[in-house]
Amino acid sequence: MNTFSRNVLSAAVGAVFLGLGGVAHAADTLKIAVAGPITGPVAQYGNMQMSGAQMAVEQINAQGGVNGKKLEAVLMDDVCEPKQAVAVANQIVNDKIKYVVGHLCSGSTQPASKLYEDEGILMITPAATNPDITHQGYKMVFRTIGTDDQQGPTAGNYIASQIKPKQMAVIHDKQQYGQGIAEEVKKTVEAKGFKVVLFEGVSKGQTDFSALCTKMKSANIDFVYYGGYHPELGLILRQCREQGFDAGFMGPEGVGNKDISAIAGPASEGLLVTLPADFSADPANANLVKAFKDKNQDPTGPFVMPAYAAVQIIVDAVKGAKTEDPVKLADYIRKHSFDTPIGKVAFKENGDLKEFQFVIFKWHADATKTPVK
Amino acid sequence: MLEFSQQVINGLTLGSIYALIAIGYTMVYGIIGMINFAHGEIYMISAYIGLITITALTVQFGVENVPLILLFTLVVSILATGAYGWTIERVAYRPLRGSPRLIPLISAIGMSIFLQNYVQIGQGARDLSMQPLISGGWRFGPEAGFQIYLSYMQVLIAVVTVIFMTALTLFIARSRLGRACRACSQDLTMTNLLGIDTNRVISLTFVLGAALAAVAGVLISLYIGKINPFIGFDAGIKAFTAAVLGGIGSIPGAMLGGVILGLSESFASAYLLTEYKDVVAFSLLVLVLLFRPTGLLGKPEIEKV
Repeated sequence: MNTFSRNVLSAAVGAVFLGLGGVAHAADTLKIAVAGPITGPVAQYGNMQMSGAQMAVEQINAQGGVNGKKLEAVLMDDVCEPKQAVAVANQIVNDKIKYVVGHLCSGSTQPASKLYEDEGILMITPAATNPDITHQGYKMVFRTIGTDDQQGPTAGNYIASQIKPKQMAVIHDKQQYGQGIAEEVKKTVEAKGFKVVLFEGVSKGQTDFSALCTKMKSANIDFVYYGGYHPELGLILRQCREQGFDAGFMGPEGVGNKDISAIAGPASEGLLVTLPADFSADPANANLVKAFKDKNQDPTGPFVMPAYAAVQIIVDAVKGAKTEDPVKLADYIRKHSFDTPIGKVAFKENGDLKEFQFVIFKWHADATKTPVK
Repeated sequence: MLEFSQQVINGLTLGSIYALIAIGYTMVYGIIGMINFAHGEIYMISAYIGLITITALTVQFGVENVPLILLFTLVVSILATGAYGWTIERVAYRPLRGSPRLIPLISAIGMSIFLQNYVQIGQGARDLSMQPLISGGWRFGPEAGFQIYLSYMQVLIAVVTVIFMTALTLFIARSRLGRACRACSQDLTMTNLLGIDTNRVISLTFVLGAALAAVAGVLISLYIGKINPFIGFDAGIKAFTAAVLGGIGSIPGAMLGGVILGLSESFASAYLLTEYKDVVAFSLLVLVLLFRPTGLLGKPEIEKV
């Protein structure tokens, strides 16, 4: 046998083995990529998403999986960075994974969603709230959380009706999520006749805010809305309180995390936060909450139950539509409603939830929260 | 006027930290003409060592004496970080001595990436935070109106910075080793010919630069109280800017550059928009370099270490 035909033969044998291997593998498991920050400054939110999704995978597997197949969660780390998110999305495409739960940060969800749309991969984000994500006319993109054009007005109306600030400041972190929601809040309060005298952006990763605090203090600001994540707001709170600036603060669900109290300490007392309703307090979820507690995980984080719901929706759709083709599943999801830990959900044409409620909580220095009436 | 004074305080605090880091850049450049891009990571490591030591002392051993904690942490951090500085020079730069200028630069960037990942693996990629050890301060001004606030921590930063800068200046100006440093910065080969172990002087430079970065790292973990493995990059760029602004190679220049950079950032966020603080700082750098290409105090022939 000459070299050429030997090579062709071995290649052919290899291909057969590989092919068989692939088929055998695909028959066993249904892979769902869970993409979000596992490392980096906002990894805590990634934790919530991962624990919710993994709980769903475990429970569904314990009940026999989907159509005889086991679910497998494949964790992907995008560090909440847009360019890393695209790399992760490419990897998901290359690994031929057909379903994605994630991403988490709006800034990384948007660029990744384009790839999923182009490649026909079903994506459900349990956490990204920027409205633009579902306004791109995409068919494969859904979310199990509300949007900032719901959250912003919720916060803005509360500020206008309850706080009634005389001199208000709106600060954001110049990211898609932070600036987006800050602009929504500004729009809402200005429509109600309140003046926003300061509208400024800080940098992601900035650590010294003393100049900003001095500026707000000398401008007699009496209320501050911050659009962004907790690492920056925690430091702003701490440094501003130190300077004796005692205005009220409010932020979106990106700041509602235990770490804000670890960073800001006593300065985090009284911070107002808009969060999804606390699904873990819903009596219907009592068993699920117990399952989380048994695993020593916290079920109260804002993205835990939405992530659980996202996995469950994919599985229910696979069962209901009797297909694994993501494009057909997207169609099915759009037309049906699902019973999940975040309630009975149905989707709009663009992939947003038909209904979702944000609730206002007051944060405490010991990292607990109480709902505000 | 009161706000202005408060902004000056804010800017000086920030500037002190920049200056402490900038000295490490400027000293290394002064002697071997190389930009040590791993210097920002040295600062980051010292912030970790500082935070861990403080937490260990307060939580593990229940020490409550604040000056003692501070002193001990500074000593531990300076020793450990100095060892890092020495090792980095040994491993990454000394084998490349005498090779074209770009090679150690690339080695430095590699070192910086390595150190970032090393800390990420060892300590996790997440933020570590700590409640302030020293809180409180003085308030000046009218009871009802705008009060200037000067925290103990800010005073401490200024005092510690001044102490270490004075010590360094004296060391360079008065001691035998300092004289060797100055000689090296003037002519490395000639100094070698005159019987001074230049390799030892270069090692010493790295250790000294690292020690000052260690001071900055400890102060920042006390002042800001939140660190992650990526803080070195940002701080490194800012401090490098400060060093160039003041005239790279000049120690007083690095101090001046740091303070100017801190103040310009403070004023930009105070009187323009916070968004523009980096724009203003870097525009200033461009302007200074246009009119004084060697930086503010950069007269390499006269003052260079």
